[in-house]
Amino acid sequence: MIASLRRSLSIYGAIASMAAKARLAYNMWVWADFVVTIVSMIVFVYFWRAVYAGTSTLNGLGLSQTITYILLARLLSPLVESRTIFYFGFMIRNGEIAVELTRPLDFQLRIGVQTMAELLVFLFQRLPLFLLAWLFFGMRLPSDPALWAVFFISLTLGQGVIFLFDWMFACLAFYVTETWGLSVVRVGTGSFFSGALVPLVMMPGWLQNVAAAMPFAQALSVPLSLLSGISPLNGAPRLLLIQAAWLAGLFVLSRGIFDVAVRKVTVQGG
Amino acid sequence: MPIIEVDHLSKVFKVQRKDPGLKGAIKALFQPKYEDKTAVNGISFGIDAGEMAGYIGVNGAGKSTTIKMLTGILLPSGGSVRVLGRDPHRERVANAREIGVVFGQRTQLWWDLAFTESLNMVAKIYQVPQVRYKQLLDQFAETLELKELMDVPIRNMSLGQKMRAELAATLIHEPRVVYLDEPTIGLDLIVKERIREFIKQQNQDKGTTVILTTHDLGDIEELCRRVIIIDAGLLIYDGPIETIKKRFGKYREISFETPAASAHVDLPPGAEITLVEARKMTVRFDRTTTTASQVAAALMNQLEVTDFSLTEPDLASIIKQIYNGALGEELEA
Amino acid sequence: MARYLTLYRFFVVQRFKILMEYRLNFFIGATSTIFLQAASLAAIWVVMRQVPSLNGWSFYEVIMVYGLLTMGESITHMFADNLWTVGWNYVRSGDFDRFLVRPIDPLFHLLADRFCHDGLGNLITGALLVGVSMQQLGIAATPLRVVYIAVSVISGGVIFIALNLITATSVFWILESIPVTQMVFSMNEFAKYPLSIYHGSIRILLTWIIPYGFVSFYPASYLLGRDAGPLVWLSPLVAGVFIVIAYRVWLFGLRHYSGTGS
Repeated sequence: MIASLRRSLSIYGAIASMAAKARLAYNMWVWADFVVTIVSMIVFVYFWRAVYAGTSTLNGLGLSQTITYILLARLLSPLVESRTIFYFGFMIRNGEIAVELTRPLDFQLRIGVQTMAELLVFLFQRLPLFLLAWLFFGMRLPSDPALWAVFFISLTLGQGVIFLFDWMFACLAFYVTETWGLSVVRVGTGSFFSGALVPLVMMPGWLQNVAAAMPFAQALSVPLSLLSGISPLNGAPRLLLIQAAWLAGLFVLSRGIFDVAVRKVTVQGG
Repeated sequence: MPIIEVDHLSKVFKVQRKDPGLKGAIKALFQPKYEDKTAVNGISFGIDAGEMAGYIGVNGAGKSTTIKMLTGILLPSGGSVRVLGRDPHRERVANAREIGVVFGQRTQLWWDLAFTESLNMVAKIYQVPQVRYKQLLDQFAETLELKELMDVPIRNMSLGQKMRAELAATLIHEPRVVYLDEPTIGLDLIVKERIREFIKQQNQDKGTTVILTTHDLGDIEELCRRVIIIDAGLLIYDGPIETIKKRFGKYREISFETPAASAHVDLPPGAEITLVEARKMTVRFDRTTTTASQVAAALMNQLEVTDFSLTEPDLASIIKQIYNGALGEELEA
Repeated sequence: MARYLTLYRFFVVQRFKILMEYRLNFFIGATSTIFLQAASLAAIWVVMRQVPSLNGWSFYEVIMVYGLLTMGESITHMFADNLWTVGWNYVRSGDFDRFLVRPIDPLFHLLADRFCHDGLGNLITGALLVGVSMQQLGIAATPLRVVYIAVSVISGGVIFIALNLITATSVFWILESIPVTQMVFSMNEFAKYPLSIYHGSIRILLTWIIPYGFVSFYPASYLLGRDAGPLVWLSPLVAGVFIVIAYRVWLFGLRHYSGTGS
């Protein structure tokens, strides 16, 4: 049992490092990503400064808090985007999906590890931008280590939630050939309701309720609100519990839906 | 009067030389080192109207670079090229109107469009009059057997069908010169035959000049009366295919199957061993100096032979020998 | 010229024939861009319903700027989408050489080969935003204003195309131009909002160097009766200058390509 676990770990480790290497290879793209992100961060900072020109707080949030939140959201926003649906579409189209499912490693876990590794590399690549935001754009980060710990736990849970949700969403690729349009809908909805564009607390009540019913907020808004101080630390346990509940629920749901979708494909032989 | 004139044509590329490893990559970024790579080195030839010339060489010999200069894609580094009296690069559009190009496996047709729609687009681009377009379409439908393919998009066609469609598209504007790069690659023999037949017919009926670059020597043998061979940027042969066959035609080869293949056998003068393998030997001999029976007898006296066969050396091995410098001695002889 | 127009029409018709093969995709493509816009617009709305103005610009005035930018961007999206894909889809595969052996301008061929109907969604959305903005602000759609808007949108589109063309030319040196194009293109995000909210240096950048300001901010200033000096009349001029520069750069790139190949 231990031996097989160790073997699985080493295999997953190898997969993670392969994914990481692939990401590091694209240097021009990294520079372009930097420029694009810096531009949007500058836009956001000036936008919010203009918003706060006539008032010191908005929905209980001060300028500094909001800017910290928004900059973090921008820096971490690709964590809320997902390529799983393209991945599925691609593998279905070229028939690889059949091979993948016969592999001894659990497919979802494998993709999960791969995704996590890619995201870690991505975050690492973006560290200069975090530095920039902290030094020049007014991003204020807390010094309380407990807060950081809670943040990272919440971020990880949130990533799990969004990964599982996208797993389900990606199953649409089994039913529809045009994945690009769907993904655009997903990105649009996700970016708004994750709180990436505007802190959720600024939204009218009914909109906040809608956001709460969606998983996107769990992935971005919850951890970021904790780190930027918008959500108080003493409320953290409750928030983490909610995230864990999302995680558990989506885990069951995503695997179930995936099995149904796969069965459809194998029955059809497509 | 040649319609294609190539005079001391050269093309030199600047290639960046990178040291291996991470350090090399960083150095290359700040202090790039360039080397000159001569792809085509002062070649000259002329091609007359209505000729079908084969332009052959190993990969990297400079074939495609030459073709790119002939079609106006690349600017020569030295020398000159004139096609139908024009500089193909400087007068790109005028030249383009009168040439057709087949780029091997890359189609010029639109992947998702039905064949006739694609062909119609090409005709519009080349300003083929509607009436003439219809005439040619009917002709090609006959000669290339395209009737069932009219509504099929390229992505759904087999390799052979794609190539037939490609030829129709290339010739729909009745170019005077056609450059065919690997037109039969990947096709099975029957389809190859049909395509070669078609090209031959076009050349005879319309006097279309054809430059054929290919590794398929069957294409060359069947279609080209003239062969130009390029190797490492230099012209090493330019002449009728018959001359090569004759020069090397005096040779015959006998393949022997023997359990005791050995390089140490006495052979009559004019015969030499060209291949020794575990159970097989090949001997090439000059017909004018010795005879098949003399060679066979000599060998069979010294080794146990279980089987043998007599062959004419084909173009492939002849060309291989030219690559290996055999022609130098032969031409002097 | 007339010949190129008829040719372009054929290219577009054929493209639609291809697109109609995938009817669902066609529809999704046309509407999907609206979703992305909707998210940004919803964000602006959420904020501005509580804050009356952004540096003196009201919600509907901000929407006008946003709408004009969207319309300008839709033009390049529709007519010059291939400038993004010229690297991986044409030059790297060698398919670009095909353009060079055909008797038409290779840039024309490149652009005509891909009319992108998705851009229509943005054009309509942008037009709606501008329309709603004018209606809410009581700005009448006089003939002069309509012409002004049409000219501004076309000029804006040309500015977008020119900038994309300049960056796309890098493909002849580095074989993949998307990152370069992305870097310059991303600056258009500044022009989604009134340039007055930014630091002076940004305003200068977006007026004189990467002139997205002429797509949205200066035309909006005119329509809203805000004083921005003679700049409000300069969009067509800026567009003209930049497209000429861009075409020259492209030709320079082509010359390099014919010297070095791919």
